[in-house]
Amino acid sequence: MSDALLTGQETPTTLARQSTSSAERRGLLSGRQGRRVREALLAYLFLLPAFLIVGLFGLFPLLFAAFMSTHRGLNKIPGAFTGLGNYVQAVSDFTYLLGFWGAVILIFIALRAIKRGVAAAKEKGDSFWRWLAPGMAFGVMVLALLAWIIRLLPLLLDIPNQMRGARNTPENFRRLLNEALTSPEPFQWLLLAACSLLVGAAATWLVVRSRNRRHGHENYSGAFTLATILVGLAGIVGWMTWVELQGNITASLASGGLNIGAQMTLISAGFVLLWLSWRLWQSASHRSSMMSVGLRLGGAAALIIGAWVLIAEAPRIIAQGDAKWWYALLATFYYSLGTIPPQLVVALVLAVLLFQEIRGRGFFRVIYFLPYIAPFVGTAAVFKIIFSNRPTAPVNEILGFFGIPPLGWINEPQGILNLLTPGVQLPVWAAGPSLALVVIMIYGVWTFFGFNTVIFLAGLGNIPREMYEAAAIDGAGRWPQFRYITLPLLSPTMYFLTLYSVIGTFKAFNHIYVLRTGAALGTTDTASVVIFQTFQRDTRYGYASALAILLLLVIIVLTVANNRLAEKRVHYG
Amino acid sequence: MADTLPRPGVVTANVATDRAPRTGRPRALRHAGTYLVLMLGAGVAIVPFLYTVSVSLMNLTEANGGAWLPSSPQWKNYIDAWNQANFSLYFWNSIRIAAITVAGEIVFCTLAAYAFARMEFWGKNLLFSLLLATLMLPEAIIWVPNFITVSWLGRVGPIPWINNWPALTVPFMASAFSIFLLRQFFMQVPNDLWDSAQIDGAGHLRYLIKIMIPLSKAALMTLVLFGFIGAWNALAWPILVTTTPDWRPVTYGFFAFIDEAGAQFHLQMAGSVITMAPVIVLYFFTQRTFIEGIATSGLKG
Repeated sequence: MSDALLTGQETPTTLARQSTSSAERRGLLSGRQGRRVREALLAYLFLLPAFLIVGLFGLFPLLFAAFMSTHRGLNKIPGAFTGLGNYVQAVSDFTYLLGFWGAVILIFIALRAIKRGVAAAKEKGDSFWRWLAPGMAFGVMVLALLAWIIRLLPLLLDIPNQMRGARNTPENFRRLLNEALTSPEPFQWLLLAACSLLVGAAATWLVVRSRNRRHGHENYSGAFTLATILVGLAGIVGWMTWVELQGNITASLASGGLNIGAQMTLISAGFVLLWLSWRLWQSASHRSSMMSVGLRLGGAAALIIGAWVLIAEAPRIIAQGDAKWWYALLATFYYSLGTIPPQLVVALVLAVLLFQEIRGRGFFRVIYFLPYIAPFVGTAAVFKIIFSNRPTAPVNEILGFFGIPPLGWINEPQGILNLLTPGVQLPVWAAGPSLALVVIMIYGVWTFFGFNTVIFLAGLGNIPREMYEAAAIDGAGRWPQFRYITLPLLSPTMYFLTLYSVIGTFKAFNHIYVLRTGAALGTTDTASVVIFQTFQRDTRYGYASALAILLLLVIIVLTVANNRLAEKRVHYG
Repeated sequence: MADTLPRPGVVTANVATDRAPRTGRPRALRHAGTYLVLMLGAGVAIVPFLYTVSVSLMNLTEANGGAWLPSSPQWKNYIDAWNQANFSLYFWNSIRIAAITVAGEIVFCTLAAYAFARMEFWGKNLLFSLLLATLMLPEAIIWVPNFITVSWLGRVGPIPWINNWPALTVPFMASAFSIFLLRQFFMQVPNDLWDSAQIDGAGHLRYLIKIMIPLSKAALMTLVLFGFIGAWNALAWPILVTTTPDWRPVTYGFFAFIDEAGAQFHLQMAGSVITMAPVIVLYFFTQRTFIEGIATSGLKG
């Protein structure tokens, strides 16, 4: 870590900063370097407390959750190792699909990092590949450190069990901790990490010494470090998937049942077709002749049908998974779809109206913000009463005024499509969100529209007034001004809010948990709520961790998709 | 001085100062349609609150019979709710938790934010991206690991963590959001100040304490507010780490009371008003800081 400090690599910013101070310019190189080392040490000291906390409670949990998700057992820490068993229980054969494609994507990102490095080095005329050895060594170091932590964890988790009763003394703890730290199995990983650190440092030193002074001032080891870590992780994921798959193929062959390999291939092919059709669809928008646009759209449609046929294998797999979890994901999607578009539209309208020369805008802003700022337990409790199933509940009284019989609202587990078509009983997946979930969506919109309005107002404030003035001189009316100035220039804000809301709705827990009723039969349980229940009520730590990691994967995919979609549509400047 | 500095943030917030120049003509009439929509929005936002207050003043038959307004205000509902839900203890707990969390947060986040904003060290970008990466993690993924970590620390350490203040405060004493917010603010402070402070012989720590912190009162105030709200609103984590009422915060206390009070809606709503009151009062007094802080950072504690 400190090797870079000692070898004297300087980033352009440090150089620029230091040359500004005339006191430093007079000093010798060693003096300046000593000052830099001292500043860096002080900075690490400043960062230490915050990073101890963020590291222990914000970063380490990801590794810890991954570790826990490979163990099973009720109220046991860490429980018995089961490989990907928890994932198989949750999403059944999709686990193999996820494992395989996860490994492929990790390797793809690794290759892309190297490709980008090559391009960047080429542009500057630097040599890139000589950084391979130090980069890989540092990558191996990180992987070895991760392995060390993973190997050490069970030993550390066992310490409290050996400290029960009279043995609960600081001396005993120190002894046990020492035993765990020096136990040979984890220690060899630490040794490997130390060795690769030394190798990396030596290799860096060699590269720095030998490089041409006129060229090659950049350090490219980062790309190789990243690539090594990613390939290592891909190896672990792939290996665990392979082990799990083998066990399962034997089991399914013994029972003479389904063919996992075929299923995986079919569904993967389906997704590849979907992706191809997406590319075709996109390319259609660049064509000018009607003929080629039509052909491309037709091709895309055909591919979608093909993909659909192949993906149709999916329901059989879903049926084998955890029905509760699948439903929770569906409910989360409903919640996301049912809250984000309405709250964005309402907020945009209110923000544009508020952004005029009118009196009382401060007043309106304060009021709109109230639902967002008020403690959610309080407001959720009111919504529970307003939308309760009693005939005398406020909403039911309003319905009664129009002669409509009372509804179950927050206690109604029936899907809304089922309620709208009383004669037909649709299956769960087709019936739409339950009425109880719709109430929670209403609550979500009510809470967040003020927040969105305030952010939109800030975005509107950033649009230069001159643009409107210029447009007005050119004779543009209010609608064209809105369509061609406000909307495009507001797109960064729109993008931020969409991303923020998508992540927010997928994380949402608190108000959904408070608005949960027994009578709704779990139809309002979104992913977070199911994870919480699995952990808190059922004490299935490993399974809850596996579900949480699946949720994280969904959030990552949505974030990437959102970024991709936004790339072309967001105007900056 | 602090007021003259530009606000930090993702979206540069001139939220409070976006007022357009007044033209003197009464425009209220021209804007009748606008006002109608705006009033409708305000009504939707405010009616649930009015209904809460209304029900909280009803008697049992009115509350359960679907009345809209109380015939005669029953102020003693508040006393009943306060005593039945044991609000004295929960209020005190929430205040203690918020105070400890915010105190730790200010010290740790200020130091870290200063290092990121003003100092040069190896691995700065890497550490900063690691920090920001924690923002992506859903709360659900940290429940199990952090619960185990906290129990472990309590069982091997000198003081218990579960059912005690460390579990409720320590994990929140440093957050990526707070560090990011403060860093943005620190970076706006002109570089000349640092140069002249250096000539006067001030080191980083003295510069931070004597110059940066006094200049950043507004940002620190935002941090205090968000810390307070965050501590007041926490629900999932307190449910996991408090099995006894000793350190249970007000949100969890009220959540449990909703179940206990059952169909006594008037008491539920009185409790709801009691739970919300401190935050809403605080909001009305500091709404500018609040709204600007949220507009700049896009977060709620």
